[in-house]
Amino acid sequence: MEILHNIAQRRLRSTLTIGGIVVGVLALTLTGAMAEHFHAQFEGGDAYFRSNIQVADDAGSYAGVISLSKIDPIQKVPGVAVALPSIGLPARPGSATSVPLGAPDTIAYADPRERDHSRLKAALADGRQLQPNRQGEVVLGHDLANEYGVKVGDRLDLPIRPQNANPDFVNHPFKVVGILKKTNTLPDATASVGLLDAQMLLQESLPASFRDRLDPSSLASRITVYGKPGVDLDMLADRINATVPGVTATRPTDFVNNFDQGARFAAIAVGTALLALLFGAILLINTMVVAVIERQGEIALKMTFGAQPWHIVAEYLLEATIIGLVGGLIGFAAGAGLAALLDLAGRTVNMDVFLITDRLAKITLGLSLALGVGAGMIPSLRAARLDPDRALRAP
Amino acid sequence: MAAVEVRDLIRKYRQGEDNMVRALDGVTLSIDTGEFVSLVGRSGSGKTTFLHCVGLLLRPTTGQVLIDGVDTTALTDGQRADFRGRRIGFVFRHQSLLPTLTALQNVMLPLRYGPIGTGGKKRARELLDLVGLGDLVNHRPGQLTVAESQRVAIARALIKAPALVVADEPTGEVDNETSDELLFLMQQLNRTSGVTFIIATHDIDVATCMDRVIRLSDGQVGADERLRVERGRRSSIR
Repeated sequence: MEILHNIAQRRLRSTLTIGGIVVGVLALTLTGAMAEHFHAQFEGGDAYFRSNIQVADDAGSYAGVISLSKIDPIQKVPGVAVALPSIGLPARPGSATSVPLGAPDTIAYADPRERDHSRLKAALADGRQLQPNRQGEVVLGHDLANEYGVKVGDRLDLPIRPQNANPDFVNHPFKVVGILKKTNTLPDATASVGLLDAQMLLQESLPASFRDRLDPSSLASRITVYGKPGVDLDMLADRINATVPGVTATRPTDFVNNFDQGARFAAIAVGTALLALLFGAILLINTMVVAVIERQGEIALKMTFGAQPWHIVAEYLLEATIIGLVGGLIGFAAGAGLAALLDLAGRTVNMDVFLITDRLAKITLGLSLALGVGAGMIPSLRAARLDPDRALRAP
Repeated sequence: MAAVEVRDLIRKYRQGEDNMVRALDGVTLSIDTGEFVSLVGRSGSGKTTFLHCVGLLLRPTTGQVLIDGVDTTALTDGQRADFRGRRIGFVFRHQSLLPTLTALQNVMLPLRYGPIGTGGKKRARELLDLVGLGDLVNHRPGQLTVAESQRVAIARALIKAPALVVADEPTGEVDNETSDELLFLMQQLNRTSGVTFIIATHDIDVATCMDRVIRLSDGQVGADERLRVERGRRSSIR
């Protein structure tokens, strides 16, 4: 109680000190939430793309299509468990909006047999999975469903018509049959359709000059290859490249290494936020030093009552810790609230970039606690070394 | 056994780079248990230094301070703090109550330092009753007069039932009438509890209300006079 009274007694100073810590913790919470978001996406991407080999046409992903005729020769390469067609194309083609920090909205087809091999599992929140050979159905990722405000049973036209759509832009109605639980990874921004629908949309996405010359039933965006248990996938990718002409198999480690740019950006942002928190720590040290100077008489008085140096250290350390913790709690709450608001505002442009996790809460509040203890250490040791004779004589 | 025994007490302070000042210059005296003693002298005579040495807030440069037979100069800093907390109470000239605590909480404050016991709150209430502030237990210092604050400080000094109370100019900031009241209160507490009181003052009128007057001058004992206060008369025994 005495400590709370002491903090409340110097309102302006306490407010400024706590405010400084709040700002630092708020910044740390926001940048930390961004880092957590990237980390979750990275983990999901890592889990998926490290478990398979992505095979594209020899012209590279620029071509955007690969013939399904490549599946058989790939399947015959020793070590291949299964080679499956995959299709992925932008859900909002030609959109002027760039998505620097999130996963792009994607229309995708994944062979159902992938569920037996892939490490990335996405569970249903509502509805059901796609039924084989049925057209006109879509299963939406969590974020995509939220972005367009649709639920199971609603209709969604795919691809999404951009604002500057060409006169010959075509889209098709799909019935939403399922919505996935949030994974914080790529499936959140995916609209999964059946193979025939995906092939149709893939063909329509190709340049007009040659789209009609291709048989859509022979197309995929890439072939996803899973290896037999114990097979080194990097070496299998090399083997596919050496064995099957006209394809390029990317090593999983090379594929995954390209993901970390966002994580590096988040790390820099977190580092900057820590600087802001350091400012809060300096404010707190200053506040506590001034408090010790102002309360020398009180400290000396307590020494006359038999207070040992550790009593004095404990009291001032506790005061600093409480200030740090209060600033941390307010800063974290404000940061989490601001993150939610920014995500809400950014949802319409697929800018869902903050993820508040238990880990982030523990780290942020733990740092606030450590800040209080660390910043309070020097002033409290100084208080314990006070000369009571001199302090009691002071006017 | 004397409550306080001081043997050839010297305390030096450094003033500037080369100058050493002897605030106490070979003080030797003995104070019996239950005595009500005043320590007089003008400013700079060494009163506060003496009280701080006896109160174990200051180590002598040389000499010994024995309290209840214990040679306190041989104790470590931690032992001195513990001894001080258990055996010595303090009253100061300046208002020394913590403004964020009530009168009751201020009286109980010394109990925070030392062995955890029971009954502290009850004793604190009893002491506040004893000093005439039973109705003001929940008042904060801002709501008390200077005299009332000093009464709380006196109660606080007695909360751990010390052997010795050291008071440094406790009536320095009050008027004459209040000064008399506070001295009378301390005298009554001395008589009823048997606690030894050493009260520093520069006011000779205050001093002569005590059982004994020790006069300090330039860090030495100039005079040591035992008085007895009888009803309406003061007489000098020695």
